[in-house]
Amino acid sequence: MRPEKVTHMDILRMSIVIGVLIFTLFPIFWMILTSVKPTELILRTSPILFFKPTLEHFKYAFEQASFAHYISNTLIVSLGSTIIVVITGSLASYAFARYNIGQGNLMFFILTTRMMPAIAVVLPFFVIFRTVGQSGIGQFLQLGLDRVGTLIICYTVFNLPFAIWLMHSFFQDIPTELEDSARLDGYTRFKVFVKVVLPLAAPGIAVTAIFCLLFSWNEFLFASVLTRDVARTITVGVGDFWTLRGILWGPLSAAATVCVLPMIAFALVLQRWIVRGLTFGAVRG
Amino acid sequence: MSDGAYGMLLVSPAIVILLFFGVFPLIYAINLSLRHVDMTTGSNVWNFVGLDNFRYALSDKAFIGALIRTGLFAVISVGVQMSLGISLAFLINRLKWFKGIIRALFLLPIAAAPAAVGMIWRYLYDSEFGVFNAALKVLNIQPLNWLGNKNIALFSIIIFDVWQWTPFVLMITLAALQSLPREPFEAAALDAASNFRVLRKLTFPLLSPVLTLIFILRSIDAARLYDPIATTTRGGPGAATETVTFFLYRIGLKQFRMDHASAMSLIILFIIIVFSGFLLRPLLKRQGEKARTKY
Repeated sequence: MRPEKVTHMDILRMSIVIGVLIFTLFPIFWMILTSVKPTELILRTSPILFFKPTLEHFKYAFEQASFAHYISNTLIVSLGSTIIVVITGSLASYAFARYNIGQGNLMFFILTTRMMPAIAVVLPFFVIFRTVGQSGIGQFLQLGLDRVGTLIICYTVFNLPFAIWLMHSFFQDIPTELEDSARLDGYTRFKVFVKVVLPLAAPGIAVTAIFCLLFSWNEFLFASVLTRDVARTITVGVGDFWTLRGILWGPLSAAATVCVLPMIAFALVLQRWIVRGLTFGAVRG
Repeated sequence: MSDGAYGMLLVSPAIVILLFFGVFPLIYAINLSLRHVDMTTGSNVWNFVGLDNFRYALSDKAFIGALIRTGLFAVISVGVQMSLGISLAFLINRLKWFKGIIRALFLLPIAAAPAAVGMIWRYLYDSEFGVFNAALKVLNIQPLNWLGNKNIALFSIIIFDVWQWTPFVLMITLAALQSLPREPFEAAALDAASNFRVLRKLTFPLLSPVLTLIFILRSIDAARLYDPIATTTRGGPGAATETVTFFLYRIGLKQFRMDHASAMSLIILFIIIVFSGFLLRPLLKRQGEKARTKY
C-alpha cells in the first residue's frame, strides 16, 4: 500500500473543520467555565480566562434552589416516559412493520403529530390533567397539575410517534425467515416477538430510548406550564435564576451545566448509537 | 386470531395513548377556536361564534407580524443550517485524521437543552459582559447590542439556532454520504467526469431524499421555536424576536384569549401541513413503493 500524500487541501480542510469545531464547542466550554468562576469575575467587561475556581454557585443551586429535587424529577420523568414509549412503541412499530397496518400512511401521520404548535395542545392538557388530578385514582398515579405522572404522560405522547417511526425501520430490516422458522417450531406470535425479534432489534430500540430520554430531559414548554415546584424539571429550573433582582449568572451557569452536562456526556458515550439512530430514520426512511 | 387482528392488538396501546392525548386536544382546540371564550371574566359560557376568531386572527397585525417574522426566521435559519451542514459533511467526509472524534464532538450542541444553553448565549450576547462583544473590541470593531437592537435581535437568535442545529444536518448528511453506493462513482471516474459534474448529476440526486427530509424536519421545528425565546428575549425588544409559538403563548396564557390562540394555532397547523405536503408527497410515494416490494 503506497502511503497517501498529505496535500495542502487536507491541511486546509482540517483547519476549517477545527475552526468550526471550536466555535461549536465554545459556548459549552464557556458555560462550564462560568459555573466555577467567582461572581466578581463574571461581570467583567473583559472576560477572565484564568482564575481560581469555586463551587459556590453549585452550592447555591443545590441548597437555595432545591436542585437535587429538580434533578430527581427530571430523571423520573425522562426514564418513566422512555420506558412507556419503548414498550408501547415497539409493539406498535413491529405491527406496522410486519402487518402493514395503515399502509404507508404511517409516516405522514407521524409527521403531522409534530406539526401542531405546542401551545394549542397545552391548554387542553392543562384542563385534562387538572380534572384527572382531582380524582382519587389520578392522585394515586401522580397525575394532575404539578405532578410527575402528568409530565410522564406528556412526554410519552410527544415521543411515541417519533419512536414508532424510528423503530419500524429497524424491525423492517430483520429478515422474516427467522420468525417464520420459529413459528414452524411452534412458537406463538408473541413468543416469536419476544425471543427472536426483540434481541435482534435491541440496538434500534436502544437508539430510540436514547432519543426519548434526550428529548424528555431537554423539554421546556410543557414542563414550564404544567409544573410549579413539586414536579419541576431542571430545564425549567435553569430559568429560575432570571430573578427580579437580575440574572444570577453564576448559579445560572451552574444550573445550566447540571442540565446540559449529563446529556452531553450521555451523547458522547453513546455517540455511535445516536448517529445510527439519526441516520436510520433519515437515510433508510 | 388472524394476523390482521393480532397486529391491531399490538398497535392498540400506542393508538389509545395517541388518540386520547393527541386527538382529543385537537378536537378541544377546534371547539375552542369556534367559540368566544374569555377566561379573564371567569364566565363558563362559551358562545358559538363560527369563524369569528379566524377572521380576527387573519386581521390581527401582531399575529401576521409574528407569522412573517417566524417565516423569515425559518427560511434564513434553515437555509444557513443546510448549506453549512452539507458543506461541513463533505469536508469531514474527506478528512484524513480524527474523523470519529470530530464527528462525536459535533454532537454536543444537539444534546444541550435549548432553554438552558439559550440562557448561556444570552450571557455571551450581553452588551457589557458578553464574550462576543469583548472579542469584537479586541478586533477594534464596534460592539453590537446583539439582543437589544431590534434590527439585529432576530439574527442573533438565528445564529443561535444555526449553532445548535447545523450539527444535525451535518450528521445525517455525513452518514448518507458514507452510505452511498460506490459503483456509480467509480463509473463516473472511469468516464473522467469532472468533480463538479459528479456532484451535480450523481451525488446530489442520490442525496436528495435525505436532504428533503432534513429540510422538512428542520423547517417544522424552526417554525415552532419557543424555548430559547422564552428564556432569553421573551419576544423582545418590542416584538422583534416574537416567534409564532411565543406569540401564541402570550395571547393564550398571558392574555387568556385561548379562543384566539386556538384559531391561530389551527391556521399555523394548516400552513405547515400545506407546506410539508408539497415536499412530502414525492417522498411518501417512494416510501410506499419500498414497503410493498420489500417482502
